[in-house]
Amino acid sequence: MLRYVGKRLLMMIPVLLGVSFVVFTMLYFTPGDPAVQILGDGASTEAIEALREEMGLNNPFWIRFLTYVKDLVIDHDMGISYSTNRPVLDEILSRFPTTIELAALSVLIATCIGIFCGIVASVRQYSIFDHLATVASMIGVSMPNFWQGLMMILLFSVYLGWLPASGFDRAICWIMPSLTIGTSTAASIMRMTRSSMLEVIRQDYIRTARAKGQSELVVIMHHALKNAIIPVLTTIGISFGRMLGGAVLTESIFAIPGLGSLIVNAIKARDYPVVQGGVLFIAFVFGFVNLAVDILYAYCDPRIKSQYAGGRKKKWKGGEQA
Amino acid sequence: MSRILDIKDLSIHFLLKSGTVKAVNRLSLSLDEGETLGLVGETGAGKTTTALGIMGLVQSPPGKTLGGEILFDGRDLLKLPTREMRKIRGNDISMIFQDPMTSLNPIDTVGEQIAEVIKLHNKVSPAEAAKEAQKMLEMVGIDGSRYNDYPHQFSGGMKQRVVIAIALACHPRLLIADEPTTALDVTIQAQVLDLMRDLRDQMNTSMILITHDLGVVAEVCDKVAIMYAGEIVEYGTLRQVYKNPCHYYTKGLFASIPNMNEKVRRLTPIKGMMPDPAALPAGCKFAERCEYAGEGCGAEQELRDVGEGHLVRCFQCRKQTGVSR
Repeated sequence: MLRYVGKRLLMMIPVLLGVSFVVFTMLYFTPGDPAVQILGDGASTEAIEALREEMGLNNPFWIRFLTYVKDLVIDHDMGISYSTNRPVLDEILSRFPTTIELAALSVLIATCIGIFCGIVASVRQYSIFDHLATVASMIGVSMPNFWQGLMMILLFSVYLGWLPASGFDRAICWIMPSLTIGTSTAASIMRMTRSSMLEVIRQDYIRTARAKGQSELVVIMHHALKNAIIPVLTTIGISFGRMLGGAVLTESIFAIPGLGSLIVNAIKARDYPVVQGGVLFIAFVFGFVNLAVDILYAYCDPRIKSQYAGGRKKKWKGGEQA
Repeated sequence: MSRILDIKDLSIHFLLKSGTVKAVNRLSLSLDEGETLGLVGETGAGKTTTALGIMGLVQSPPGKTLGGEILFDGRDLLKLPTREMRKIRGNDISMIFQDPMTSLNPIDTVGEQIAEVIKLHNKVSPAEAAKEAQKMLEMVGIDGSRYNDYPHQFSGGMKQRVVIAIALACHPRLLIADEPTTALDVTIQAQVLDLMRDLRDQMNTSMILITHDLGVVAEVCDKVAIMYAGEIVEYGTLRQVYKNPCHYYTKGLFASIPNMNEKVRRLTPIKGMMPDPAALPAGCKFAERCEYAGEGCGAEQELRDVGEGHLVRCFQCRKQTGVSR
C-alpha cells in the first residue's frame, strides 16, 4: 500500500511538469505586456523596455521556462507576484484556507443530500420520491451556478433579508455560497448513487443477505451501499478537486477572496507568476485528491486493495476476529 | 415423521407492463421432517420462483404472491409479519443459491458473512459467532484460517461451500438448495452433493433440492416433484416416479437421457419449447408438445392419485391406468 502511494506521488511529478509547461506556453502566447500593466499606459518605451529586461521577459522561451522550472525545483520558489510583490506561494496559501473551507462545506452538504436522496430513490424506484428526485437533480445539474447564486441573493438577502449577500467571516455567510456550489454536485452525486445502487440491489449477494434474515436497513446500508459507493466516491472526488481549484463565479458573486478570484485577477493583470503558481497548485491539489479517492477505494473494496498490494499473494491475517 | 412444510395452491405471478407472467400456478407440495424432495424441471419452469416464494423473497414489484398457503410448522408464512418472517429466514429455513460466484458479498470476508447469520439468530458475542463461523468453515472442508479471506480469493467450488456454510450455520430445519451444483464442474459437484448429504444426515434437516439433473435427484432425494410451466405435473416417491413415470413430460425427460450401454446416433429430446409463461394455454400445458395429446387434454387438469400417493396431472395417463372421476 505504502509503495503504491509512493509510486502515485512520483507519478505526479511529470504531470506537474507537463501542466507548468502548458500553462507557461499559453501565457507566453497571451497578448498583453506585464511591464505595461505594472508601469501603466503612460510609461515611456525605455522604462518599459528596462523593466522587461529586468523581469527577464526578453529572454527566449526556453530560457524563461527552464529558469522557472529551475527555481521551482531547486529553490522551491514560485516567484514573486508582479502586482503585490509578495511571494506567489504566500499569496496562494493566504487564499487557500478560505477556498478549502468553502469546498469542504459544499462537498459535505452535497454528499449528505446526494447520497441520502440517491439511496431513497433507488430503494423506492419509480415512486413519487424517485420521480421528484430525478426532476430536482435535472434542475440542479442544469441550473448555472452564477444564476442560482444571484437568485439566492435576491431571495434571501434582498427580499427576505435572512442571509448576508457577501462576506466570509461568520458562519452564516457560508450558507449561500456552499449551497450554490453544492447544488449541482448534490444532483450528480444523487444520480450516481441511484444508478449504482440500482445495479447493486439486483445482485445475488443482496438476496443472500436478505435470505439470512438481515433487516432491510442493514441490507441497504451495509451490503448494498458499501458495494455501490465507488463510482460515487469518484464523483465526490472530482467535484471536490474542482471546487478546490476555486469556484470562480461563486467566489466573485459572494465576494469571497478564494483561489479562483486570485487567479482570475492575476490573469487580468498579466501577473504571470501567480497564474502559473496558482494553476500548478490546483493541479497538485487535484492529483492529491484523486490519490486520496483511490486510497479510499482500497478501504471500500478488498479486491482493489489486493491489486494495490502489487498482485502478490497476501494473507489477510488481521486477527481480532479470528 | 411430522409434516414440516405444506404448500397449498401457491400462485406467484409477475405483473409486468407487457403482461402477466404466470411463473407458479396453484402449486401444492408437502414435505416431512428429515425428508428430501427433488424439484425437477427445465429452465423457466418456476422452480426458483417457488423457492423464493417459500423464503418470502420474490422481488416485489413486479412479483406478487396471489394466494395459497405456505404452512411451515403449521404457521402460514404468507401471513407472517415481516419481522417474524425475518426470524425464520436464515434460521429455520435457509437457502443455497444457484450461482456461488455472485452469491457472496465481495466486500466482506467469508468469515464475517457466516458470522453475520449466526449473530442475527443467536444471542452470542461477536467472538463466539466468529468461533462458530470458523467451525462451520471447517465443517464444509475449508481451513478455519481462511476466515479473514475475501470471496475473490476463493475458487467457485469453495465459494459454494461457503454459501452452504452460511445456509447451515443456524442449523435450519428446512434447507432449500437451488441448483447447488449447476455452476460447478463434475468432480466438485460430487463433493458438494456428498457434503450436503452428510450434513443433512447429521442435522436431520429437511431439504428441497432444485435441479434439472435427474441423476442428482436419484442420488439424494426421497421424493420427486416434476415441474412444468409453473405446475407440478408428477409427484411421488423416488421409486414411483423413476420406476413408473406416468406423465408424458416425465417420460420424455427420462427418454432424453443418453443411455451409455447402447450405441445411439441421436438423442431423443422432447420436441418444442415450454409455453411462454405470459401466455399459457388452457388445459394441459404440455399438450402441444405431447405426442399422445388428444381429446380431454384441452380441459383443466388436476393432480390425481394413480396409486399410493403417486400424483399425476395427465388426462391420458389416468385414462390408461383406469383412474377416473
